[in-house]
Amino acid sequence: MINMQRLISSIIKEGKILIRDKEALMILFIMPVIFVVIMSLAMRDTFKSEEGALLGIALYNQDQGEVGKKIVEAISALKIVQVYSLSNEKSVDEEAVKRDFAEGKYKFAFIIPPDVTGSAEDKVAEKFEGSKEGGAEKIRVRLLADPTLRSDHVNLVSSALNRILQSVESAILMKRLKVVFAEIGLETALSSGEGTNDDRIFSEVTLSSDGSGSGESMPSSVQQSVPAYSLFAMFFLVIPLSGTFIKERMEGSLLRLKSMPVPSWIPIVGKIVPYFIVNQIQIFIIFMVGIFIMPLIGGDRLDIGNSPLGIVLVTFASSIAAIGYGLMVAVFCRTSEQATTFGGVSVIILAAIGGIMVPKFIMPPLMQSMAELSPLSWGLEGFLDIFVRNGNVTDIIPELSMLLTFGLICLSIAIIRFRFILR
Amino acid sequence: MKNNIVIEAKGIVKRYAGADRPAVDALDLVVPKGSFFGLLGPNGAGKTTLISMMTCLAKPDEGSLMVCGLNPEKESLKIKEKIGFVPQEIALYPTLTARENLAYFGSMQGLSGDLLKERISYCLDVAKLHDYTDICVYKYSGGLKRRLAIVVGLINSPEILFLDEPTVGIDPQSRHFIYDRLIELNKSGMTILYTSHYMEEVEYLCNEIAIIDQGNIIACGGLDELLGETTNKVLEAKLSKELSHDLKEKVESIPMVTEAFFNSKTMTLCSPSPNETMLALSTLFAENNIKVLSMSHGVVNLEQLFIALTGSRLRE
Repeated sequence: MINMQRLISSIIKEGKILIRDKEALMILFIMPVIFVVIMSLAMRDTFKSEEGALLGIALYNQDQGEVGKKIVEAISALKIVQVYSLSNEKSVDEEAVKRDFAEGKYKFAFIIPPDVTGSAEDKVAEKFEGSKEGGAEKIRVRLLADPTLRSDHVNLVSSALNRILQSVESAILMKRLKVVFAEIGLETALSSGEGTNDDRIFSEVTLSSDGSGSGESMPSSVQQSVPAYSLFAMFFLVIPLSGTFIKERMEGSLLRLKSMPVPSWIPIVGKIVPYFIVNQIQIFIIFMVGIFIMPLIGGDRLDIGNSPLGIVLVTFASSIAAIGYGLMVAVFCRTSEQATTFGGVSVIILAAIGGIMVPKFIMPPLMQSMAELSPLSWGLEGFLDIFVRNGNVTDIIPELSMLLTFGLICLSIAIIRFRFILR
Repeated sequence: MKNNIVIEAKGIVKRYAGADRPAVDALDLVVPKGSFFGLLGPNGAGKTTLISMMTCLAKPDEGSLMVCGLNPEKESLKIKEKIGFVPQEIALYPTLTARENLAYFGSMQGLSGDLLKERISYCLDVAKLHDYTDICVYKYSGGLKRRLAIVVGLINSPEILFLDEPTVGIDPQSRHFIYDRLIELNKSGMTILYTSHYMEEVEYLCNEIAIIDQGNIIACGGLDELLGETTNKVLEAKLSKELSHDLKEKVESIPMVTEAFFNSKTMTLCSPSPNETMLALSTLFAENNIKVLSMSHGVVNLEQLFIALTGSRLRE
């Protein structure tokens, strides 16, 4: 009972200190709102200009023949994509590719059906024999595209693939024509050209997501910016949190506390609770800006998907990760300057590599891999799963697990170090 | 431990990693109940380490220590309920008011409800802070901050109040206000353990004094008792002009002089044979046309006592 009173008193004290710290309030509330407004409006138009960016595409060729080989070569030659060829991996099958894609491992997946060479040659033969049946059933190839990708990126890749397929089928037709002409003793120069749509042996590349979303659920700049800068603001609590902790050490309050009959967990939990509440208020305010303010100033309205529980869980898990990180920085830094510099810079770096400032999908593959190291990226992917991919609690379990693990590891380190400081 | 003793240390040792000698080295100390006990020593003498062990902030590496009849290693929480500690730093939350600081630290001491309100009111009264109760501490003067810092140590009605150099950096008016309050508290029966390197305040406040140097108590007792111990060992002379470098060396080379300190026209010497030293000095000064305005021997204050005991000035 006495310890509960101590804890409540500790929480109230920390809350009052935070409320009276104007700089901290600026960092925690005003800064992210400004970022969200500016970046949401700015990103809406400027995202159209990064054609040089590489888009990762998983290429699964099940065909052993020449057609599959040509398609692979042509796709690999495209400058706009980074190809991950899965054909030679023994453990891979079509379902595994789809599963990996659904889990967000790849932004695109292109699946070449088995024996596409044989099928294509049969189709061509049917055309030459005058059968019309072949035109009705075209060879279907599918491009899986992550619903979080922008539509112009998806269109860019799908139209490039269509061009490749047209080119491949033209080559097959030319080859067949040469054979036919040779049989009748006619030598002529043939040039490739595009047939009419009815003459095509490959269907147009059809787009598909992993089944959990559709092409209509592309993220808006608001859907990217709001969760991104909310997470940025949540992690930025490292500055006020470490600042108050270091001041306590430097100004002797912690020493005074040490001389009192206070269990060591009370000062720590006394800090966790108010900052946890602050994180929830941050999310609430920034999301409200996304939902109500952004449409008024020319931005899109924030669509938060259909899983409020999922949003709450991602927020809680992100908050635990942010507070854990903040406390860890606080207990290891010796001065406010150290904490502000290291804490601030490290959060900016984690945000930069985590797809907060620059969306992950326009990063090169190496940077996309590095993004997986950032807890801000885990939080952002959790929110995007819900907002854009219509995910539910089950879908965000990986992100929640990583955030909670990270947060609890940081908290454990902070508590061990704090107990050492208190001794 | 006897009833009239609140702190008893026997052979306590505290070492810090990397230090070439222990911060506290086989120290024995007894603090009587109700005393105003001064712990006097230069910076780095071991005062803060000693007080840290008594307030359960640090554990002795060796020896035994009892505070309020309790063993700090086993019963630190009970000891912490019985003591108040005022560290060297202000140790307050600057963006909280006086009342909020007192309420927070009071609740950390386990107080609540009416008892807490009563203690807050008492502390504000002792520090005469009623006019500043709801003003954030960062707006206070240095003296007001110190007054609040001290009364926070009283919030739990402690049996022993530990004050670690509590008057550093404040104006004389505030200092005397604090002295008066502390004397009142001591008269009401509270044991006060006061560390300082200001000899005047220890002389003024304390009825029991321990002088600590290099981790050891080198003298302990009442002021008169201590001054009596070292009578005739210190010699002080006021001269007509400041001595040249050569003359200072000649003074230092007088065989009976163990230590010599020069401060402008005043010279303080340590010597086991003050009379012979005085004779030698008279001859030396006469030869060099230096007039001796006054010369005395025998310890008259703590500064001289400290010089006599340690061979060094307190603030070096």
